[in-house]
Amino acid sequence: MTDGDLEQVWRRSAPDLLAALLRRTGDFGAAEDAVQEALLAAARQWPADGTPDNPRAWLVRVASRRLLDQRRADQARTDRELRVTRQTPPEALLAPAADALDERARDDSLTLLLLCCHPALTRPSQVALTLRAVAGLGTAQIARAFLVPEATMAQRIGRAKARLGQVGARFTLPSAEELPDRVAAVAHVLYLIFTEGHTASTGSGLTDLSLADEAIHLTRQLHRHLPAVGEVTGLLALMLLTDARRAARTRADGSLVPLAEQDRSRWDRQQIAEGVRLLEAALPTGPVGPYQLQAAIAAVHAEAPGAADTDWAQIETLYRMLDTVAPGPVVTLNHAVAVAMVDGPAAGLAMLQPLLEDRGLRRHHRLHAVHAHLLEMAGKDAEARAAYATAARLATSIPEQRYLNAKASRRPPG
Amino acid sequence: MKYVILIHANPDPWGHPSSRYTAEGRALPAERHDEADRQFEALLEELSASGEFVTAEALADPASSTLYGWSPEGHLATDGPYAEAKEQLAGFFLIDCATRERAEEIAAQFAQPGGVVELRPVMWPGGDDQ
Repeated sequence: MTDGDLEQVWRRSAPDLLAALLRRTGDFGAAEDAVQEALLAAARQWPADGTPDNPRAWLVRVASRRLLDQRRADQARTDRELRVTRQTPPEALLAPAADALDERARDDSLTLLLLCCHPALTRPSQVALTLRAVAGLGTAQIARAFLVPEATMAQRIGRAKARLGQVGARFTLPSAEELPDRVAAVAHVLYLIFTEGHTASTGSGLTDLSLADEAIHLTRQLHRHLPAVGEVTGLLALMLLTDARRAARTRADGSLVPLAEQDRSRWDRQQIAEGVRLLEAALPTGPVGPYQLQAAIAAVHAEAPGAADTDWAQIETLYRMLDTVAPGPVVTLNHAVAVAMVDGPAAGLAMLQPLLEDRGLRRHHRLHAVHAHLLEMAGKDAEARAAYATAARLATSIPEQRYLNAKASRRPPG
Repeated sequence: MKYVILIHANPDPWGHPSSRYTAEGRALPAERHDEADRQFEALLEELSASGEFVTAEALADPASSTLYGWSPEGHLATDGPYAEAKEQLAGFFLIDCATRERAEEIAAQFAQPGGVVELRPVMWPGGDDQ
């Protein structure tokens, strides 16, 4: 077994193991320590003694034993637990493989997701704990993905676990009336992991990690648990449709290619087909939420053979709907672009005017980039270049700044 | 989104927290400093618990720095301080927050006697296509 194989077994097993142990202890930290120790024991013993016939059963047995060792200090309770463990065959503690999910195992991994996104935790902590406990990633990997020091991420995760203990969070499914809000929180956490994944990945190798891939993987899990929740389906569709453009959105030198200039032959057609299929299944089922609408917009782009074939009228309608269910300046900004494409740049520029006068928004580079783009469409080249320069000064993404500076210095034709 | 909070100050003698060593800071009673320290501790505790705190460092006296100039013949090293800066960099905090508004709310609490606090976004190596 190579290190790579071992890593795969770890990542697949850790969340199941954790769920199995959390059924028996409310102590998230102790359960996770036991899982880590079992995985370390496997790393020591398997290469020497060979991989056991049932690796998961082996891991559960060892992890349970470690958990009990930790608890031996609390003598009375430990005695009782030991008796129970001896009577429980390891298979009974075990979540089966993903291709043989039974009701209980499905509930387990959903419960774990919901626990990691517990309302007592802040969003950054929910994100970190989900990647650690459900995706089974190492602290160092998560820290690298978010460009923070490992010690910071370790502390963030440690505090999140301690907080769950403080508020007495239980490893049980929330009540039916609580569930929609809790699922919405999970969806938002997964969405944040996905958008964070837009960071251009650098380098290659085993330890490299695509947050977008992790987010899609976890959202697939959530969708398997809750196939009837339209917004979960919509979120998965949105991720697939957006991620399908991944190969086309950066050049070899890391610079960004805007949607209109992307080589559409490099879009992942299979992923687009899956996203569209999911979306078509979700749309008729009930109230259409913001994830489904954003997925629908991405689908319209995906289905246009070239940028010039884009059905902007449909996109404009979808942004108007999005503006009703989830209004916000970013929606208005994108809506203005669609309006400009349908009714001409003057109509789009009129929509931007109030945003340009808003003190909070004036410093967002995206506003000025859109402003510049519409000025360019209107043939006002000098004003467009000035707006591109403003956008470049305010941008914090290095490739985006490079792109905007190039637009700002482009000489007018003639 | 990451932001750096830069503390510009000229404590004399150089020391940390720099607010205790600036002319304006020395003019304040000790109780005011103690109260400010307590508030600052509480702020750091809050930022750590929320996961927004990334890292921070206090910097040594600028007199202990070395400056490297460039010329076609090679670099030229001289002893600090960097005289062109009116106010020296005394330390920095790196935070990671959801919005600019939140970063501004945090940075405002770093304001201190005899110093200027600068909030600046950190650039990142990726980007969005739409």
